Amino acid sequence: MRSLRAGRLLFAKDLRVLVRSRGLLAILIGYPVTIAILLAIALSGGDRRPSVAFVNLDAGSGRTVLVGNERLSVGDYVNRIQQNVDLKRLDPAQAEQALRDSKVTAILTIPQGFVADLASATRSPVITLQTNPRNPIEAQAVERNMEAAIFRLNQALATAYVDQVLNLVKLIQDGGSVSLFGTSGHLEGLKRSEQIVRGMQQALRAAGQPAEAAKADSLITFISGVGDNLNLAKPAARSIASPIRLDIQSGTPGREPLSVLGIAAALVVGLGLLGVLLAAALLSAEREDGAMSRLGRGLVGPGVMITQKAMVSAVAMLVVGMVLLGIVAVATSVTVGRWAIWVLALVVAGLAFGAFGLLIGALARETRTALLASLMITLPLAVVALIPGNDVAYWVSAVAGFGPAARVFQQLLVDPTVSGSLWAGIGLLAGIALAYGVVARLVLSHRMHST
Amino acid sequence: MTAEALLTARGIARQYGQVQALAPLDLSLVRGERVALIGPNGAGKTTLLSILAGVCSATVGTIDWAGGTPLPVGWVPQKPALYPRLTVRENLRLFAGLEGADDALATANGLIAHADLVEFADRRASALSTGTLQRLNLAIALAGQPTILLLDEPTGTLSPDQRHRLWAWMDDLASDDMALVFSTQSLDEAVRHADRIVALVAGRMRVDGSVADLIRLGGGDPGDPDAAEAAFMALVDGTP
Repeated sequence: MRSLRAGRLLFAKDLRVLVRSRGLLAILIGYPVTIAILLAIALSGGDRRPSVAFVNLDAGSGRTVLVGNERLSVGDYVNRIQQNVDLKRLDPAQAEQALRDSKVTAILTIPQGFVADLASATRSPVITLQTNPRNPIEAQAVERNMEAAIFRLNQALATAYVDQVLNLVKLIQDGGSVSLFGTSGHLEGLKRSEQIVRGMQQALRAAGQPAEAAKADSLITFISGVGDNLNLAKPAARSIASPIRLDIQSGTPGREPLSVLGIAAALVVGLGLLGVLLAAALLSAEREDGAMSRLGRGLVGPGVMITQKAMVSAVAMLVVGMVLLGIVAVATSVTVGRWAIWVLALVVAGLAFGAFGLLIGALARETRTALLASLMITLPLAVVALIPGNDVAYWVSAVAGFGPAARVFQQLLVDPTVSGSLWAGIGLLAGIALAYGVVARLVLSHRMHST
Repeated sequence: MTAEALLTARGIARQYGQVQALAPLDLSLVRGERVALIGPNGAGKTTLLSILAGVCSATVGTIDWAGGTPLPVGWVPQKPALYPRLTVRENLRLFAGLEGADDALATANGLIAHADLVEFADRRASALSTGTLQRLNLAIALAGQPTILLLDEPTGTLSPDQRHRLWAWMDDLASDDMALVFSTQSLDEAVRHADRIVALVAGRMRVDGSVADLIRLGGGDPGDPDAAEAAFMALVDGTP
């Protein structure tokens, strides 16, 4: 009962001191919130299209080339590529200068004769992509974008070419007018040819030349066999046009995965820093104020002090977390719901971060040392927690609770159902809080009675 | 003066790694006495007071209390141990609450009046002068209504007028019920305000007695006004 009272009194004292320490409050809350906002902006702006200079050297680029049923021109290529990158139409000199000035990430050049090569179908037209070596990461992204764009165009072209070949097959089978790669004419077709040969065979028999008529049997068999084989070639040709197809199924409507990733990352980094720094500062400040020598004489036990300060940290995280989520709900299209689970997740994560900070605060002798150590330890772990889909990174960052917190926050933002893994994540955070709380208590107890 | 021992320490000592901060010593405190702990820097005064206050534990030795259970001890560390961002009243109310006072606010207000802190009651501790801060430091120690009051160089950082004012209050505090132990580097303070002197040198207790005992140990003349200081210096130099 006395412990409870002591904890309550110190809790109220910490909140009061915190409110009055405007500089510390500004650093402890303003800094992580600023980091969170910057991170959210940076990550949610990850779908920004890189700038690419577009140089068109093909004089005939206005021409349209008919490939089967597909009408293509340089304009078509440009329109399709523009879906992935921000193309800036420049002349060669301007493009070179822009690349040198890093105003563009790459130069995309359509060479002379591009459309003619495309129309002839005898030579593969070549598009040149020159990237900026000073910006390797974005250059790599542009290369991937362009490869994907060219892959899709090639696939469309292959389908068009195959369609044209299949039309030709149909023409061979059924006969008709032909117009292909600049030549035109009339074909009889296999069916008509077979009819003609059979007519000639009947005429020979009627003319009393059965031996001559029998010779036509092998020709009729050949024509019929060719027709059957060409029938089999149709599905094979279609499958060659696209051997593997990718079926991308869109997620739940209204969710924005990249934005959600950014917001979850911002929450975990911002709130994590707040929780760890605040707890470390609160505990080390007790020693720096000299109050520890009074409290440690049996007025407040180390367990009570650790629990109470972890709770202050959790409450601060809850308040700042709710403010950040409120901003997300109002200012973005991301849906924030299930507030009761959010409260639980923020409190438990706050306890975990707080307990980690308390361990640092118990080990450090001064507030400045505690804050510096907290930053130096926490920042790399927070960054590691942002590496998606990597179990090693997850467990490394779980050292301070960042990995599990990131997953819990992401699940709450993305997954519309409350899954078992969400509860497992919250449970893991509670376990981390308990483990660090116990260790911090032992260290504090030792510190309290050894000074 | 009754001779009931409030506290009896037997063979208490403190070791920090390889360094012996306090060699084993025996010490008892009785009601109403004022004990001065004297000694140069590093003599072990703070360590001894910290052990008695329960701030740190003795490496060896035992402490027995009158009645078998620890008595309320007031602790006044050399550096004021309080919250600079809280007001005088808030500090006193908090520590009174932690000491278990039923009405912490009433206790705080009583201490404010007692310590002559009324005009500073709602001022933050960080805004107080050194002397006023030390009075608050002492007032906080009284929040638990102690039977033993331990003060670690309470006047070490004070100006002569502040020191005079604080001693006036501490002399008032000394009563038949409370034992008061203070450490000091001023032999004059010890002679003026203590009934008993405990001299520590290099972690070892060299004197536990009256001023006359100290002078006798130094081989001086009790009639000589400088004899106590000469005896103390001789102790520090290791002459006797």
